[in-house]
Amino acid sequence: MNIIETKKMGITFDGLVALRDVDFSAKKGEITAIIGPNGAGKTTFFNLIAGFYTPTEGTVYFKGNNITKYKPYQRAEQGIARTFQNINLFKDMSVLDNALVGLHCRSKSNVLSSMLRTPGQRKEERAMREEVMEYLAFLGLDSYKDEKAGSLSYGMQKNLEIARALALRPEVILLDEPASGLNTQDLSELSQRILKIRDKGITVILIEHKMDVVMSISDRIAVLNFGEKIADGSPEDIRNDQKVIEAYLGKEE
Amino acid sequence: MNFANIYKKTRIWIILAVAVMLPFIVTNNYWLHIANIAGIFAICSLSLNLLTGCTGLFSVGHIAFYGIGAYTAALLATKLHAHFFVSLICAGIMAMIFGLILGIPALRLKGVYLAISTLAFGEITYQVFVNWTAVTNGTRGILGIEPPVILGIKFNNYQKYYYLVLLILVIVVVLIRNLLHSRIGRALFSVREGEIAASALGVNTVMYKVIAFATSSFFAGVAGCLYAYEVHFISPESFIGAESVSVLAMMVVGGIGSIPGSIAGAVVLTIIPEALRSVGDIRLVIYGAAIVAIIIFAPKGIGGFLEWVDGLLMGSRTGKKMAERED
Ligand SMILES: Nc1ncnc2c1ncn2[C@@H]1O[C@H](COP(=O)(O)OP(=O)(O)OP(=O)(O)O)[C@@H](O)[C@H]1O
Ligand SMILES: [Mg+2]
Repeated sequence: MNIIETKKMGITFDGLVALRDVDFSAKKGEITAIIGPNGAGKTTFFNLIAGFYTPTEGTVYFKGNNITKYKPYQRAEQGIARTFQNINLFKDMSVLDNALVGLHCRSKSNVLSSMLRTPGQRKEERAMREEVMEYLAFLGLDSYKDEKAGSLSYGMQKNLEIARALALRPEVILLDEPASGLNTQDLSELSQRILKIRDKGITVILIEHKMDVVMSISDRIAVLNFGEKIADGSPEDIRNDQKVIEAYLGKEE
Repeated sequence: MNFANIYKKTRIWIILAVAVMLPFIVTNNYWLHIANIAGIFAICSLSLNLLTGCTGLFSVGHIAFYGIGAYTAALLATKLHAHFFVSLICAGIMAMIFGLILGIPALRLKGVYLAISTLAFGEITYQVFVNWTAVTNGTRGILGIEPPVILGIKFNNYQKYYYLVLLILVIVVVLIRNLLHSRIGRALFSVREGEIAASALGVNTVMYKVIAFATSSFFAGVAGCLYAYEVHFISPESFIGAESVSVLAMMVVGGIGSIPGSIAGAVVLTIIPEALRSVGDIRLVIYGAAIVAIIIFAPKGIGGFLEWVDGLLMGSRTGKKMAERED
């Protein structure tokens, strides 16, 4: 089943065509990578899936439903989580609180029950903390739960982005260059974690420049170049695709 | 038990005990009145903190909600002889309704534009207090607000009323503290920290801004009601724009986002001008200089300073962490 699908999706910024006619699909339970040179439109693509931009043409589908008009928070509620290429944490909040915001739309205490700390609210709060601690532990952040997010190292901040997105209990997680700036040891840990996330049944869509990571963990790869999708297929296919080699791989090596 | 633990467990009770004892130490009526005003403004600056400190929405017209609460209470008390608690709740709700009326359209505005629209709202509200004489009695104000009677006790002097203000301040602090430590509070903080990330996590940022406006104006209205019963007479002068700036100053001096800070800011900035009354007009200069000094030397306000003292008395957090790592 295609959990995310776009049909002829495109967006233009003041005359600049950032994406054109993109037909894309990601299968449920798979890791789909999106690669392409700098400025190809990858992050823009994520912003269209997550609802931060509305396409100037085409449609976005989530589980077969047209979600093109949905706002970002509604898409999050539906189960689309994302991380940001330029880390976008709540810097002055604790690590724990950052992750707890992820559970926001999976919890329901209201203003009154929160002010009065009703038994139901306290129970929910306890359960939320327990759940979130699992995500923090999964990313090796449990012992930093009381630190301010802004005081973490770069690598840990990137991990917190993922933990926070997982707390949304997403069906799809969009990871924008999770490997950038990580050292080799962190890289292999990251690959393991992404595989584990997929094994939990969460569909992963991954933007990444690090080819070894992409080739080793992806089930499928789509390639963007100058705002157009020039290829998609298995890592094998992409490795041998003449267009891709010319446009992207060839240039880099 | 070591000192740090004892301190941690007892500090709030010590503060409360001092607050309860205060009317026995300060017996002068004038200073008790100042203490009551400080408590009332503490609620007001706490409420502003919810909007500006926690949610990041700047308001320069906050006194309008306080005024709406005060007028609501005054009218209920004089025209309908309403029970104090009825006035209190109605004052909060009426202020909240106006908070929503201002908040919903104002949400399209950002930063300084929002600030200007709240400033305009404050001015308009003031003009309504002055000119809608049929209801507000204009500049002559509303006289004859009777002291509250609760369970047969008549709160007819500053000392008795002090305890009522203290009780409501404590309740407001507990409610706001609970709110800030809940999913609602975290959503408010997330709006301040980054709307894009917040909405990516499913926070309906527009709705939470409305919630911030509603809760903040509710508590400002409650403070306004307390004020009406404290002075028994209200007139528009108490709700001029400069008062909004005072509340903003209390919050900033207290430390943006800090509950103890908001209270301390209100207490300090209520007492300073009174304590300096004898030195004449130069007190305004000293008052201004004190605010500037606190902002420069304690950028996190009095709240930040209190946290620092807390850290010293409890053994600093970093110190504790190092100890943990060693064993
Ligand atoms: N909000 C915007 N307004 C105008 N132009 C934009 C906007 N967002 C993206 N663009 C443009 O769209 C193009 C694609 O940018 P995008 O950030 O999607 O690239 P990318 O593939 O993610 O690159 P990188 O690998 O460097 O992250 C760029 O030319 C960029 O300037
Ligand atoms: Mg990008």
